[in-house]
Amino acid sequence: MFFRALPHLFTGAINTIWITAIAVSLGVIIGVIMGMSRLSGNLFLRTASRVYVDCFRGTPLLVQILLIYIGIPSLLFAITGEQMPINVYVAGITACGLNSGAYVAEIVRSGIQSIDRGQTEAARSLGMTKAQTMRYIILPQAIKRVIPPLGNEFIAMLKDTSLLSVIGLEELTRKGQLFIAVTFAPFPVYLGILLMYLAMTLSISQLVAYAERRLAVSDRSN
Amino acid sequence: MIEVTNLFKSFGKLEVLRGITTTIAEKEVVVVIGPSGSGKSTFLRCLNLLETPTSGEIVIDHVSVTDPKTDINKVRAEVGMVFQHFNLFPHKTALENIILAPMKVRGLSRQEAEERASDLLRKIGLEEKAHVYPDSLSGGQKQRVAITRALAMQPRVMLFDEPTSALDPEMVGEVLTVMKNLAQEGMTMVVVTHEMGFAREVGDRVLFMDEGQIVEEGSPERIFTQAEQERTKSFLGKIL
Repeated sequence: MFFRALPHLFTGAINTIWITAIAVSLGVIIGVIMGMSRLSGNLFLRTASRVYVDCFRGTPLLVQILLIYIGIPSLLFAITGEQMPINVYVAGITACGLNSGAYVAEIVRSGIQSIDRGQTEAARSLGMTKAQTMRYIILPQAIKRVIPPLGNEFIAMLKDTSLLSVIGLEELTRKGQLFIAVTFAPFPVYLGILLMYLAMTLSISQLVAYAERRLAVSDRSN
Repeated sequence: MIEVTNLFKSFGKLEVLRGITTTIAEKEVVVVIGPSGSGKSTFLRCLNLLETPTSGEIVIDHVSVTDPKTDINKVRAEVGMVFQHFNLFPHKTALENIILAPMKVRGLSRQEAEERASDLLRKIGLEEKAHVYPDSLSGGQKQRVAITRALAMQPRVMLFDEPTSALDPEMVGEVLTVMKNLAQEGMTMVVVTHEMGFAREVGDRVLFMDEGQIVEEGSPERIFTQAEQERTKSFLGKIL
């Protein structure tokens, strides 16, 4: 049964991977904008970023998924009187991306803040603008420090996409459940699902470790 | 060249500078000494607005630095700064550290900037370290590269904030030599330091600061041998 389940689980795992990849990419785009907003001199941007992070980090992803997939269409129905269902992939990826953005924002913020003040002072005292300092001095150093926590975020999100099974999106967990419904063999199938997740997360941590090594140009001191 | 009028700076309730007034002439080497916490570093950092003064005016080369309408980046390009902890960019080689600002701020081509940097590196005897990352340089070498980085902007003034305080004793000399040569070439310099030998030998004027004020100033000769103020005497008595 375990081996018969594998091809099904495999197609689910493929879905899980690309959904996670798109969600985290979305999260990185949102997170970079929000993380930098958090450090900007503009009070509105700072507050907006803070509210965003607090809301999406402080509420369960499962509820966020349900709100977007079920809540929003029902709201639209109440307003317009028309049925406007959201595509399950769009809803799922949006929810995960928004959620991930909040975590990435914090990663980006702390990565930038971890760079020594002296770096900014040196750059500014040479006449470089704030933007030039950010681009040539702070970000290149911050990126190296941000890679490991971003890897963690990718792994966390990969596991969290299993929540998308509740809205029927056929990622790994859902694929497994459908297979169980036909075969009535929960133990080997759930075990197979777990092993699939484990294989994926272990591969990612290897990739991250590799990226870390490659980016580790001599900058231990100073 | 630099005119400072009635400069005050507070951090919250703490008054660090309490009415500094002084003038620094072109080609003058002014050495600022004083006990820690006397405000000498803050004074230096106010000159290029790394700290924003609470009140008072600073004019460099007829440009009011403290005027909010002044483009501070333009002023900073003319004012080189050397830090206690070097603050080299660790992700860039020595050469890249030096050419970055001339290219991005002065608009030099890479080739022009590299020629300028190579000349300067040769002068301080570090040309073979051009393509080395700061991590593999000694403290003295780092500081010499940091000085070169500031000089590559061809500034009108150089500020030194305790440039040798973080160095191992055997490396202090090489940095002071670079600074001495710079002074001999006629660079206008303001140096915060504990190196009294340097103050004596290279300084045109010594400012003794304590509790946010200039207590006494004069030629090194006079300050070190015939200080008038009690506080100056007691400070010098402790360190000489």
